[in-house]
Amino acid sequence: MWQALWSQIMDLTLVVVLLRFMTPILLSALGGLISEIAGVINIGLEGLMLISAFASIAVGSATGSWVLGTLAGVAASVIICYGMGFFSIKLKVDIIIAGFAVNIFGSGFTIFMMSRIYGVAGNYSPIDLKNIPTINIPFIQQIPVLGKLLNGHSLMVWLALISVIFCMLMIYRTPYGVHLRSVGEAPEAAKSLGIPVNRIQYSALAWSGVLAGLAGAYLSMGMTSMFVKDMTAGTGFLALAVVLLGNRNPVGILFGSVIFGLASAVTTLVQTTPGSPVPSQFIQMIPYVVTIIALVFFAVRKKRRRMALAQG
Amino acid sequence: MKKGNATILEFAGIAVAVILALLCGFAVILVTSDEPLSALTSLLLDPVSNLFNIGTVLNKAVPLIFTGLALSVVFQSGVFSMGAEGQLYAGGFLGALAGVYIHGLTPWLHLPLVLICAMAGGALFAAIAGLLKTYANANEIVTTLMLNFVAILSTSYFVNNVFKDPSSGGFARMPYVNPGILLGKLFPGLPAHAGIVIALLAVVVVYLMLYKTKVGYELRIVGKSGHFARYGGIATNRVVLTSIMISGALAGLAGIVEILGVHGTYKDNFSAGLGFDGIIIALLARNHPIGVLIASLLYAYIQVGAQTMQVGSDMPREVAVIIQVMLVLLVSSQAIFVYLKQKYGLKAVK
Amino acid sequence: MSILLQMKDIHKVYPNGTAANRGVDLTIHEGEIHALVGENGAGKSTLMKIMFGLEAPTSGTIEYKGAPVTFHGPKDAIKYGMGMVHQHFMLAPSLTVSENIVLGEEPRKGPFSLFRDRNKESEEIEKLIRTYGLKVDPHAKVDTIPVGQKQRVEILKVLYKGARLIILDEPTAVLTPQETDELFDSIKSLIKQGYTIIFITHKLREVMEISNRVTVLKAGKTIATLMTKDTNPEEISRLMVGREILFRVDKQPSVPKDVVLSVKELCASDDKGAPALCGISLDIRAGEVVGIAGVEGNGQTELVETITGLRKATSGEIRYFNEELIGKSIAQIRAMKIGHVPEDRQTTGASLTSTIAENLILDHYRNPEFKWGPFLHKKKIKQFTKIMMDVYDVRAQNEDVMAGSLSGGNLQKVVIARELSKNPKLLIVSQPTRGVDIGAIEFIHREIIKKRDGGAAVLLVSAELSEVMALSDRIAVVYEGEIVAVLENTSELTEAEIGYYMLGLGIKKQKEEVAAQ
Repeated sequence: MWQALWSQIMDLTLVVVLLRFMTPILLSALGGLISEIAGVINIGLEGLMLISAFASIAVGSATGSWVLGTLAGVAASVIICYGMGFFSIKLKVDIIIAGFAVNIFGSGFTIFMMSRIYGVAGNYSPIDLKNIPTINIPFIQQIPVLGKLLNGHSLMVWLALISVIFCMLMIYRTPYGVHLRSVGEAPEAAKSLGIPVNRIQYSALAWSGVLAGLAGAYLSMGMTSMFVKDMTAGTGFLALAVVLLGNRNPVGILFGSVIFGLASAVTTLVQTTPGSPVPSQFIQMIPYVVTIIALVFFAVRKKRRRMALAQG
Repeated sequence: MKKGNATILEFAGIAVAVILALLCGFAVILVTSDEPLSALTSLLLDPVSNLFNIGTVLNKAVPLIFTGLALSVVFQSGVFSMGAEGQLYAGGFLGALAGVYIHGLTPWLHLPLVLICAMAGGALFAAIAGLLKTYANANEIVTTLMLNFVAILSTSYFVNNVFKDPSSGGFARMPYVNPGILLGKLFPGLPAHAGIVIALLAVVVVYLMLYKTKVGYELRIVGKSGHFARYGGIATNRVVLTSIMISGALAGLAGIVEILGVHGTYKDNFSAGLGFDGIIIALLARNHPIGVLIASLLYAYIQVGAQTMQVGSDMPREVAVIIQVMLVLLVSSQAIFVYLKQKYGLKAVK
Repeated sequence: MSILLQMKDIHKVYPNGTAANRGVDLTIHEGEIHALVGENGAGKSTLMKIMFGLEAPTSGTIEYKGAPVTFHGPKDAIKYGMGMVHQHFMLAPSLTVSENIVLGEEPRKGPFSLFRDRNKESEEIEKLIRTYGLKVDPHAKVDTIPVGQKQRVEILKVLYKGARLIILDEPTAVLTPQETDELFDSIKSLIKQGYTIIFITHKLREVMEISNRVTVLKAGKTIATLMTKDTNPEEISRLMVGREILFRVDKQPSVPKDVVLSVKELCASDDKGAPALCGISLDIRAGEVVGIAGVEGNGQTELVETITGLRKATSGEIRYFNEELIGKSIAQIRAMKIGHVPEDRQTTGASLTSTIAENLILDHYRNPEFKWGPFLHKKKIKQFTKIMMDVYDVRAQNEDVMAGSLSGGNLQKVVIARELSKNPKLLIVSQPTRGVDIGAIEFIHREIIKKRDGGAAVLLVSAELSEVMALSDRIAVVYEGEIVAVLENTSELTEAEIGYYMLGLGIKKQKEEVAAQ
């Protein structure tokens, strides 16, 4: 088994799988980052991805267009985020509780709709689904290493990487980004300068909805071609962990997503490689244990740094 | 404002939230169902229409009471632990082991021992997240969520490969527990098992602990103001760890009582999110033990109603989720309570 | 001088029933420095919030240059050229000085003006700094610069937005005397350039020094508007309170006995790791009050925290009746009859979401006297609370009232009740009357002296020099983490002399003398 695994690393299958798993984590983590910067951290990423995954495959299979499907997924996710904003900003529900409610809602509502619309209980696999396309670049395809690295990835993988740059520009190069940061850190200051705090927080949630929506569409129309109940399986929480570790910076988010994507990729590869000596349950645990270790590592480092300062 | 008046207003706010949430559910049914009236009557009346259903409501409420208590305790200490699901598995697992493999004790000794093992299992597993928080300052929301997966996957491995009853086939389970300690029906004709008694006891004990003892006082003060607690010399880390472990013990009880009352032994994946339901219960109950009792019954009622509705009509039972979500959001809305206070409450205290 | 702004008969009643303004009139002339004075709770902050558009008045009118205006928010007020420098700075810590100054009106470029024009931003900020002479580093992150500079950032903020009428809310509360002088120079220079300044303060000396006119508020109403040159601090204070504010307590001279607390060469760091205390040595005896004078931020907070166990000292000794306190837990220290009234009663001294009773039994809950088996003895706790509320004059309906609904003075009395009821041998009080009404101040001062006469050693830390002078038998002045002077509080001691040491001038003089030898 180890040989099979090593050969997969060498022929860069690992990188391909890594990018595939990293994409939904990266997208939703970027969304989580924007909301966190504005002081309204969105922990409902799981629920949003589920709702988007269902909405996009429903519209995608009905219209035959992956574009419409993706747009539908994003729209559904953004609408829910506005709902979240309404409850947390207007009705003063704690943002964590609101996010938790979105997760429960996402899970239950998608099962409800799957049953009402398609009459199925466990999963919905439409035939002839037009997935989000993969990008094949004609010349690069021939080059040995570069070809495997750059070629044949889903459009959404590229979108995710572009989103990192997009977020960097938005947060640091636009006035909107400065407003986001000020609203999150010093809402009273922002308010006293006439910055519409509530409107900015709604928009931050909306951005997290857009990004989580893209992630969800990729789950049902890119990574797989179906909707399975609760198919996110903790991806949203991994994204949350990335946000907490990401140092409030899109590049940090990218690093974190790579780490967790790697953990998930290794898990899958080991599981699908025959002759694995490790029981499947423990392999499945890898991403979660990695998350805990990473979280503890960074938290201890932060604490040590603070204590060193206090000693003078 | 006086404490008495404040409590009445709290109840009023919760009542408003319940009514609004139910109305939302009704609206969804009216819109999406082809036979809304029959679906609605199913949802509302079936749970009390016969003894079997009433018993089912009580049985479903039991684990919710335990996990609701577990989350209430930990929320009152200011910790956002979401690990009840994993602690439930850990405790249930350890308790079941004690129930299956310890022989020769009278039920009067065996049952308490099994319960204690379950509590210990839950408490010790919870302590992992607790220590990570107190010593490494690791965010407990993420660690407990991750540890849930660890617990569920580990116990699944053990029940599938080490402690599996060979005759259980595709659905792995341990050999059956000593039948003498199973929690049987309380009254003939009513399928509610004796776990409800233990649950009621737990409500009383937790209530006394939180509001009438030194431990509860420290716990609540730490939850309300960490600075104040530290200034007063309270060892906040110890209190946080204790509260997480108490919560784990209660979650462990949820697991073992469910095993002894419903399943007869530890079954792989026996909990369909009971730990997460506990979070909802605690939020609905505003973290108060008596509220947990009421919220659990209400929640179980809705679940049974939704299930019978699914059987008898075209509505899937997930409609209950919509009601539950609205309940959580409305009860947690501080604005509703502030509004009520302003309208019906308070002359300013000088 | 023409009238720039006029507020007529302003009333403001909050939804919870509090009437903060009950008929305030305020007239501001163009180009003047107008002081607004009043006790805590007189309505100054509310009036300023209304003036700046942060709140809407329940009734009354605002006129700008003769024409009535309504402000729907701060943006409207800013449009009319108003700028407000708040008492508690409103700056985003991780943003730079430059980003904070232009916040809300960033120079833009690019398609749809979507991007920041960072070059233009730098240019404009540099120009601003040069024009007004307010030196700051535009690229520094705000959480790294000292308090005096943060205030300059706030002032630059309002100037950038084109303010011509600047409201300063208690600006000198956190400044050293030297920084205060620099601020006053800036103000005078702004006036020369045609700006108008409103100056909210309760420091009457400053009113006399710098203002042209002064308006006195009391209990939500305007009591008087005077020309500063025609009045004096005594008259102003009489108008503010209705009697002369004397931070003077009737007390017998102290009869100090044995040393209770002996601090030797104590060193400690602050939260950021910088040294806060360097070699503090001080003795406090039973039956005396030692007051620590000094501008906030010179180590007083850290001193109190190390003695009470809330902070770890880096070196030195703290001896209490010959027992070493360093290394003991907070609980142990509290159990040794050491009382501590912390400077922040809202976060540290009390739990606002708990009842008065729950706040009072913070130490006593460990006492076997209040136990009943494994439970807390509710009846005894209730009795105890009732007695305490009576003895310490806490005015509330009953012991189950939430602490958060108490007024500042009453809440402080709860804290005092808790700490003094322990009959402490060492009592440490920090900012004991900050934000407390006059009646409660007198009560608290009397209680402190009572304890001193009963034989307790009292360590008083206060930013109110008049309070330190009223209560202390000896005064130690701290400057940059060191004790620069210990003075007997005789009738000859003047505020000026203490201020001299507070500025660190005392050390400089000593060093010069040593160097000259």
